[in-house]
Amino acid sequence: MTAGFSARFGATGFSGALILGLGILAALYLISAPLGMLLVAAFRGPQDLLPLEPGTGWTLDNLASVYREPALYATMIPNTAVFVAGAAGLGFAAAFVLAWLVERTDLPFGDAVFTVVLFPLLVPGVVVAIAWIYLLGPNAGWINLALRGALGIAGEGPFNIFSMPGMILAQGAALVPFVFLLLSAALRSMNPELEEAASVAGAAPRRVFLAVTLPVLRPGVLAPLILATLVAFEQFEMPLIIGLPARISVFSTQIYYELNPDTNLPAYGRAAALALPFLVAGLGLLFAYNHLIRQSERFATVTGRAYRPATLRLGAWRWPAFAVVLLYVALTVVLPLVVLVWTSLFGYRPPALSVLAQANFAPYANLAASTDFWLALRNTVLVAGASAAIVTLLGAILAWTVARTAMPGRAALDVVSFLSIGIPSVIAGLAALLLYLSLPLGIYGTVWVLVLAYSYRLAVATRVARAALAQLGRELEDAARIAGGGWLATLRRVVLPLALPSLVASFTLLFIIGFREFTLPVILQSRDNLVLSVILWNDFVSNKSADAAAVGTVILLCVAPLVFLGRRLLLHRAPRG
Amino acid sequence: MRPRLALAATGFLCALGTGAAAAAEAWRPNDAMLALYDKAKAEKEIDLWAPAAIEIGWVPAEFAKRFPGIEVKSTADLQGATKIIAEARAGRHSVDAWSFAIGGMIEVQKRDLLASEDWGRYGIAKDNVFFGGQAAATHNFIYTSIYAKPAVAQADLPRRWADFLDPKWKGKLVAQAFLLPRMMGFFALAWGPDEAERWGRTLIDEQKTLIVNTPSESYLRSGERAIAVGESISLAAQYKADGLDVGYLTLDLVPAGQFVIAVLKDAPHPNAALLMAAWLASDEGRALYESLVHEADIRPGSNSALAKEIAASNAKIMLEDVNTMEQRAKYYESYSALVRGQR
Repeated sequence: MTAGFSARFGATGFSGALILGLGILAALYLISAPLGMLLVAAFRGPQDLLPLEPGTGWTLDNLASVYREPALYATMIPNTAVFVAGAAGLGFAAAFVLAWLVERTDLPFGDAVFTVVLFPLLVPGVVVAIAWIYLLGPNAGWINLALRGALGIAGEGPFNIFSMPGMILAQGAALVPFVFLLLSAALRSMNPELEEAASVAGAAPRRVFLAVTLPVLRPGVLAPLILATLVAFEQFEMPLIIGLPARISVFSTQIYYELNPDTNLPAYGRAAALALPFLVAGLGLLFAYNHLIRQSERFATVTGRAYRPATLRLGAWRWPAFAVVLLYVALTVVLPLVVLVWTSLFGYRPPALSVLAQANFAPYANLAASTDFWLALRNTVLVAGASAAIVTLLGAILAWTVARTAMPGRAALDVVSFLSIGIPSVIAGLAALLLYLSLPLGIYGTVWVLVLAYSYRLAVATRVARAALAQLGRELEDAARIAGGGWLATLRRVVLPLALPSLVASFTLLFIIGFREFTLPVILQSRDNLVLSVILWNDFVSNKSADAAAVGTVILLCVAPLVFLGRRLLLHRAPRG
Repeated sequence: MRPRLALAATGFLCALGTGAAAAAEAWRPNDAMLALYDKAKAEKEIDLWAPAAIEIGWVPAEFAKRFPGIEVKSTADLQGATKIIAEARAGRHSVDAWSFAIGGMIEVQKRDLLASEDWGRYGIAKDNVFFGGQAAATHNFIYTSIYAKPAVAQADLPRRWADFLDPKWKGKLVAQAFLLPRMMGFFALAWGPDEAERWGRTLIDEQKTLIVNTPSESYLRSGERAIAVGESISLAAQYKADGLDVGYLTLDLVPAGQFVIAVLKDAPHPNAALLMAAWLASDEGRALYESLVHEADIRPGSNSALAKEIAASNAKIMLEDVNTMEQRAKYYESYSALVRGQR
């Protein structure tokens, strides 16, 4: 038995095995328990009672009531399909062009463009949605006003953000930084030998691009497209804020409406029933993504050999291309930020030099004087920090177990940890709500329910930790053990110092995600667990747009330094050229 | 028939202030309230919930003037019923007192989560007591439509709700997703459910009314829309106080929700909550609702300046009552799905 234990867990010893076991159980709990409750809830009724509340029983009524509704097939599913396909397609196309220009051409100021394109990752989705309303409201949007003035057009428009194209535009633009990041990595890591061979054989640049570059990149490029589809699928803020005026309901907002009906009690069972195929579709996309990533690794375009991707000279198109990039940056980065800061200082006033002297800092003073704001700031830091620490620790434990032990089922652990990326926030929020309302733990409504709910995102931490471990030879750990170091001492003195930059990067990324998280705290909110994004939302729906914008600006100021830190640690981006 | 009045709030608001001041001066807490205050002091605080900040934002400061030493913490949440029921299920009780329209309280009241009180001890008249002692009346939520004065000529203003279906208003209207279906619930009682739905569908589908989940002030201020359909007179006053040049309309029908205050059965601060609830339902509390946030009691017999103003317009007042509230709730549940684009 001892030999078997040793074979499976290496030289961890009993205490090491205990730590690993507890970590694995905690990770499995954080992902599986809420999802298990979600599954149970879909088959328990009556629909407005909690799944395990006295008076409930097993039923198919929830499924029947949801899936017999004609509106689901007539509007909801088509709306969701169009929205997701449109936003993912638009976001991918824009990101691909940007990534290609930055990574594979001699675009001027490529490094600066790289950083600026990533900047919207800082801004909470709610803020971006509100900014788009200010810019493209059909009657009074800043861009519409400017265009009507310049072109002498009467009436409304020409653009209307409150429409499906408007939703797609806003969501597509929001996806760009994320997809750009993934595509840049794929383009940057492509071995140029095949392209060079094609060029030497006399192929024109266009033919090289179509016949060589695209096929080689296909798996690595399609994977971000699938991830973009997954992200658009789970998106909640844009459909909630822009979709309602357009009266366009998609899956994520429908689940939210079932949980927050204007007129009645939450239909927990219906929400869970509605979430099931949503979850299956999300996981299906996730497996497709995984498959493509494995394929792209088979192409082995990334090798240990030093190389520099070929740079295409844009020639006469260099500055026009830069102008297009500038236009993109102005529309999707600069204008939303200007709207945010402007609204916090000038409220609803349209931009004009004449009002500059009337800047009003009262929203910031209101925040400083508000006990709710300080509570929310404290809660936000606590929840984002604690959940990032938990997830980083558990991710490291899972990664070590998968990479360094022969434990049976470790491959399944890897899959389970990765599943979390396929679980939309709105479903994670619903699942956590059902679980902690049903369990007699007394944490519902407290800040701890948010810490646990946020901590399901194990995929990022596990992947980052695995990458770090892959770069550490086992011989270092073996040497430490031969020198008499126990398992914990080896981890503390050898593995941890070497893996620390990756773990800090993982923590930073999760902290940023947690800091700007909106969906989970909105679903789980109470008076005691307010966080900044909820304050922002509550101010927005309470007609305090300037206050809401001030909160958005504060979030931005808090997260901005961390993004640059995270980028430095995580990307290790080599200088161009 | 005399034309309905398009009221500019200013003169009316002055009248409100005078009447309220008189009521406030005359009112004194009775012995039962003073005894309750003595007990409540030890509890130090009250967690008060309501659907919107405008309903209760003024309460902490005014209550502290009358009953120092007890802090009121106010929370605005449209889904108060959901949260209160969820907290009760989780065995967690944070809410002391809850202000809402009676129709919005049905589910909480059915679950027996509201405390029964002897309101008469604190000077509250029988007519003002609801749900067999579980709630007391504070004010009416008076539905109206608010227009941006610079955007609409007085002569063009609608005089009946049906006038909003005139093509000239296409693309100029905004409505709140929460309030519009509730108002349509009143219309269903008055006109019949099919006619109310036809009105709502036309308003949304043909008139391209913008449905929003926030107060419509920003849409009126920015010029995105000219008239907000189905708002309240108190919101009109708030927009005006925020510097927006608006007026409100008294049309052919004036729906009015019945707001009450209730203490939760498991309130963490029961004495302080009851003290505050009794004060809000008192003559002084109701006068403050009217003078500070323009939410008046317009039920028959009311001395409210606003009640008189509406009566003078010959509009038909439709008050929410316990006999029709469940039927109306069924109507607005159905209309809510319509307004949100779910059917």
